[in-house]
Amino acid sequence: MSNFNKHETIISAGIDIGTSTTKLIISRFSLRNVAGAAHVPRIEITDKEVLYKSPVFRTPLQDAVTINVAGVQEIIRSEYDKAGIQPSQIATGAVIITGETATKRNASEMLHQLSDEAGDFLVATAGPDLEGIIAAKGSGSYEESGNKSSRVIANIDIGGGTANIAVFQNKQLLGTCTMHIGGRLIEFEDGKVRTISPPVEQLLKDQGYSLQPGDPQRAPAVQFVTSYMAEAMARILKKEVHAQDQVLLLGHEPNWSQPIDTIVFSGGISECMYRHSSDEEQAAQYDDIGIQLADALLHNQLLQHFTWQEPVETVRATVLGAGTQTTEISGATIQVAPHELPLKNIPIYQYDFEADLEVGLSHFEDAVHQAVTLYDSAKEGQNFALYLSNLPYLGFRDVQTLAKAIVQIMNQRPRPEQPIILVIQSDHAKVLGQTLAALQVKQSVICIDQINVETGDYIDIGKILASGVVPVVVKTLTFHTT
Amino acid sequence: MNEVLIQQITKMVVEKLEAVSGGQTTQQPASEQKVQLFSQQPVGHLAAEAQHASPSGAVTFHGTTEEVKPQRNIATVKPKPTTAFGKPKAETKQTEEDHLAEYRKKTPARVGVGRAGSRPKTDTWLKFRLDHAAAVDAVFGEVPDNVLEGLGLFQVQSKVMDKEEYIRRPDLGRKLSDEAKATIQERCKKSPVVQIVASNGLSAKAIEENLEDVYLSLEQSLNNLNIEMGTTFYVDKGRVAVMDDIGELLKPDVVVMLIGERPGLVSAESLSAYLCYQPRHGTIEADRMVISNIHKGGIPPVEAGAFLGTVIQKILKYGASGVTLVRKEG
Repeated sequence: MSNFNKHETIISAGIDIGTSTTKLIISRFSLRNVAGAAHVPRIEITDKEVLYKSPVFRTPLQDAVTINVAGVQEIIRSEYDKAGIQPSQIATGAVIITGETATKRNASEMLHQLSDEAGDFLVATAGPDLEGIIAAKGSGSYEESGNKSSRVIANIDIGGGTANIAVFQNKQLLGTCTMHIGGRLIEFEDGKVRTISPPVEQLLKDQGYSLQPGDPQRAPAVQFVTSYMAEAMARILKKEVHAQDQVLLLGHEPNWSQPIDTIVFSGGISECMYRHSSDEEQAAQYDDIGIQLADALLHNQLLQHFTWQEPVETVRATVLGAGTQTTEISGATIQVAPHELPLKNIPIYQYDFEADLEVGLSHFEDAVHQAVTLYDSAKEGQNFALYLSNLPYLGFRDVQTLAKAIVQIMNQRPRPEQPIILVIQSDHAKVLGQTLAALQVKQSVICIDQINVETGDYIDIGKILASGVVPVVVKTLTFHTT
Repeated sequence: MNEVLIQQITKMVVEKLEAVSGGQTTQQPASEQKVQLFSQQPVGHLAAEAQHASPSGAVTFHGTTEEVKPQRNIATVKPKPTTAFGKPKAETKQTEEDHLAEYRKKTPARVGVGRAGSRPKTDTWLKFRLDHAAAVDAVFGEVPDNVLEGLGLFQVQSKVMDKEEYIRRPDLGRKLSDEAKATIQERCKKSPVVQIVASNGLSAKAIEENLEDVYLSLEQSLNNLNIEMGTTFYVDKGRVAVMDDIGELLKPDVVVMLIGERPGLVSAESLSAYLCYQPRHGTIEADRMVISNIHKGGIPPVEAGAFLGTVIQKILKYGASGVTLVRKEG
């Protein structure tokens, strides 16, 4: 039975497997009932304390296209040992695979294996947009964007393989962009070029430069690449995408609409700029263009037009974001079937009631059809969560009507026996869950509330905590434009 | 509060205002707004209403758009916002307003409502009067019969005779009348696990708006949990501790009292659910517990009912409520 008055702590892990480095972070969240004694409880994360930061490891690779899974597992195991943590203690967190690592052959397989092994409820995340968002949360840019009103802040996380830009204003995501800009795109060995990544090769060809493995490290072409990257970065931030810059874009073009005021650099390249952990510098001899790239960014004239702000975290921004900024807490009055949890990677379908129950219910069946079309077009049984937003004020008889309608439409899914997963915007989860129970529905019911999601988001719902709440990780990729 | 006095003062002020405005404002009869400050059908306070024909019914407010400005050009009238360099700074004002908008989103309190001279603006003042009137109505109002009939509740009285006595004598609101005791003995199931009682308390409006939703949701919750319920009834003009009398009569394990809260200026229809494990004569206040703020703008009544079920389950498990429950839970 839930005890709302107890001060509870949970352990969260963040693991970042990047193009050149792998890092891990363990933190402890404090959960408290922040509502007054005479109120219905409201549980919130009131404190986050980082317990352990791992050193920055080289990401173990088997060959150019395969990650050494055993090597990664070994790192995680030994770091858990050093932190004095068992995988079973970890209640939430995320493992994120970033940069070019995400394109490796066995990336997705390894990600899911890790998220199962390394903790009870460790969420697997990937994708350049999400990576940028998580880095912005870890570097402090996200928090900062809410401090002074209407400042548009771009967080630029540059690691070995990619630069992930995420733009925020008032803590709202305005857009993202990912570029082939990173330290590891040209590697050296004994003062000579060892490898050149394909996008850089293409760039050199387009611009009429030639560079081969074996050429000296100080070749003018190398100099050209880093200063070109800095210029292209400045142009992208201003949303002036030139045809010759397309080669450095990964995915979509910049999609924010407000001009950027402030830029924050995080990631490994930012470490080369700010030297936050200078004591570790010796270990980080990467023998690539990282330091030159940092230098080029620092001295680029166009980038000086923006206000620069130092990040709270440099090389560990993403792992910190993954470990401490991904977990949300559901409302305290919810109804969940404990044996169904944790649930992972559940797509969200949002259904808007437009503040009118009758209007909402008249098209309610469409919600299931559209959700199935969207997420389970092959009718293989991919379940989804129905997000009910903009519900009107509900009386008890309204709740009964709604519950009956939910049962009816949920039975139209390709596999109706799957759990009914409901996320409700307003504080109605418990009564709706209980009403479904009173209707003696066949399926298990997971009914949570006070989480904001949208169609296209994926959520992971963790096991029920002693406070009676569940941790929820929302993997959002949607943008808010004003 | 002496309503008669308030009305007299209001009348005097309005008359004075009208006399003065004759000299300073050009009246525009077309844009006259009739404002009804008090209900024309007073409830519960008939004596006061009957003796004095309400002057407020005839109060009119005039558009003041063509107000003649006082012929004074002294610097103190309207200081220009200046910075240290003496330049007006328009941006600052913008930011301030934005901040206030943030605050307003977070609270229903009257934040950043502005002012006219040293007084509140007319809108704010009228809203204040309206909210105050709603609070008074909530205290002196009655619960419509159909609300209680709809839920099949019978009604009994506390020892209080009328509203005036209810306010003056809280001790009498904590006791059941002899007739009430007899009715309860006759009609209620004895020694139920949970006895639910409703009472208007200080807000009849709270019961009218929320009782049905809280009650039906709570009933469903208890059914789901297989917890037995007694015969629910309504106590007119009761106070929270009247549950001790009820506990002595029916010997339930838990009493849940759904009672109207003292109305405030944000909401006049907020309901509280007081819970107590085996309330009897001599029960101390620390053993009662409460879930408050149940209304449209607070905890949704249906969700509160659902939550109460689990609270009752916990009280039964530990055989305690209030501070004792917290202690036993550890």
